[in-house]
Amino acid sequence: MTIRLRDLAACFEGVIPSIIATAAPDGMPNISYLSHVVLVDDERVALSNQFFSKTATNVRANPAAAVLLVDPRDGGQYRLDVIFEQTLDSGGLFEEMAIQLRATSTQVGIGEVMRLRGVDIYRVRGVQAVPSPTPRQEVSSREAGLQLMAAAAVARRVSEASDVGTIVDAVLDGLREAFSFKHAMLLLKESAGERLVTVGSRGYERSGIGSEVLVGEGIIGTAASERRPVRVSDMSRIRRFSSAVHASSDEENRTRTIALPGMPDAMSQVALPMIAHGVLRGVLFLESSQRLAFTREDEAALAVVALQAAAALALAEAEILEGPSSVPVVADQSVLTGRGFRVVHYAYDDSIFIDNEYLIKGVPGRLLMYLLRIHQREGRTEFTNREIRLSEDLRLPDIKDNLETRLLLLRRRLEEKAAPVQLLRTSRGRIRLEVAGRAVLEEATS
Amino acid sequence: MLINQDLAAFMASPVMIILGTRDDALVPEIARAVGAVVRREEGCVDLAVSEWQWSKTVANVRANGQLAVTFARPSDYVSYQVKGHATVASAAAEHVALARRYIESMASTLGELGLERRVVAPWLVERDLVTLCLSVQEIFVQTPGAKAGQLIEQFP
Repeated sequence: MTIRLRDLAACFEGVIPSIIATAAPDGMPNISYLSHVVLVDDERVALSNQFFSKTATNVRANPAAAVLLVDPRDGGQYRLDVIFEQTLDSGGLFEEMAIQLRATSTQVGIGEVMRLRGVDIYRVRGVQAVPSPTPRQEVSSREAGLQLMAAAAVARRVSEASDVGTIVDAVLDGLREAFSFKHAMLLLKESAGERLVTVGSRGYERSGIGSEVLVGEGIIGTAASERRPVRVSDMSRIRRFSSAVHASSDEENRTRTIALPGMPDAMSQVALPMIAHGVLRGVLFLESSQRLAFTREDEAALAVVALQAAAALALAEAEILEGPSSVPVVADQSVLTGRGFRVVHYAYDDSIFIDNEYLIKGVPGRLLMYLLRIHQREGRTEFTNREIRLSEDLRLPDIKDNLETRLLLLRRRLEEKAAPVQLLRTSRGRIRLEVAGRAVLEEATS
Repeated sequence: MLINQDLAAFMASPVMIILGTRDDALVPEIARAVGAVVRREEGCVDLAVSEWQWSKTVANVRANGQLAVTFARPSDYVSYQVKGHATVASAAAEHVALARRYIESMASTLGELGLERRVVAPWLVERDLVTLCLSVQEIFVQTPGAKAGQLIEQFP
């Protein structure tokens, strides 16, 4: 039976190192491990060329080479009979391999060594299975086309959602139900552009809403800075990008930082950039404790989901700018049902503590103080996004880009901390403050 | 020619051993060995290889003798490549015993790195063993990095 390259997809995941043998014109062979072999099409493979210089020299004189690929699921070995064709040092394939290499090697702290010099393209003349004493395992591969159907199901859900919060939920719930991917988070970029903030997650002990990742840092940050998907199929040799797995609220109170959620035993990870109108909006991130949990097809389907979510989010933010203009009627609210609570605001970083528990900092913190002050002054609980956006008090020139996102962050964080003040979205462009008890607002000086 | 003692110890430790040969048309071939014995004083390395699994490699060595061998430690990728001329001999009892020990220790080393025994079994085959007796001519550093490919010793 003829083996096609596409049947060997698992061998290209970089879990078990591949091997290449070449021969110099004088006949002396050379044998070397390879870090990355990429499937180009049914007739060609691409090899990363970082440091195996003897291999590079040999194939330029004698283009015949042998490559050994290993299936990480059953250890099966396949010998490719290949002919060197050319070296690429630019183009889409080169960029893709360079990013993958950078993303994974910065994790292990050898970013310098792993710089990609070129991508060598080889034509494959034949594929043979190496004899094995153990029977090859029938590994069930997911049916082709399934990912496309799952992506369509998520797209349908997202298309029905009309605001930032429901779009985020539609994506994360869709991934769980249509793809059965149980651990996922969605991060949106701050308008300053240096940080990504978690606005939703599924499958973790803590939601991590409000936690941040620097653009360019780790797998999530690399997907953002390079605007390309990054996928790792075997994390066992890669240090976790976040050591903050055992985060506690004591830790939050001390550092005023919310820890990124994460699986301590993650083996596979994939990060997809969310881009709309040419602008990076965020990153969709998934992980699993299984090796090879995300195939190349999964990555493609998830990339489509991420891009569609980005477009939907951009649209939701844009629509808010045209939201209702009427300022809600002043309601005579007497919401003194609960006990009093203390809200402390630190002006220097806009961090907020409610009854000594850290809530949030930055723009969402400033927003909460603004809403609570109006509430105290006017007794009002209904607000429009439009009045917030136009408010002189907030002095936020950049806020109009993603006011919805910041309000969502604030709303979710209040929910998660079960705070005595909650934010509800009543209709498009309108929010309501629900306050249980009298808020005592304090400005901290240090 | 004498092989450095540290290097000899490295080659005989649980490291992955891969072989490169070529046929008359200079088409290269790949194989794995299941154990190495270093005879330092003679500058020789004996390698246990399954002819059943890697018949083309054994045929290539019989035909022209040119052989390259890379020894790589799976935990940190420290690697050396040795090159030279080899002959094929039938496996003596000591080589069969060597292969057994190597397969045991290699499987447990790879097991510590999270690779199950059923996965590594196809790489550690002892059926129809032969011995490749390699007379070492050159030794190279092969660890990924700036020094990869550097010649560290050459024997006339």
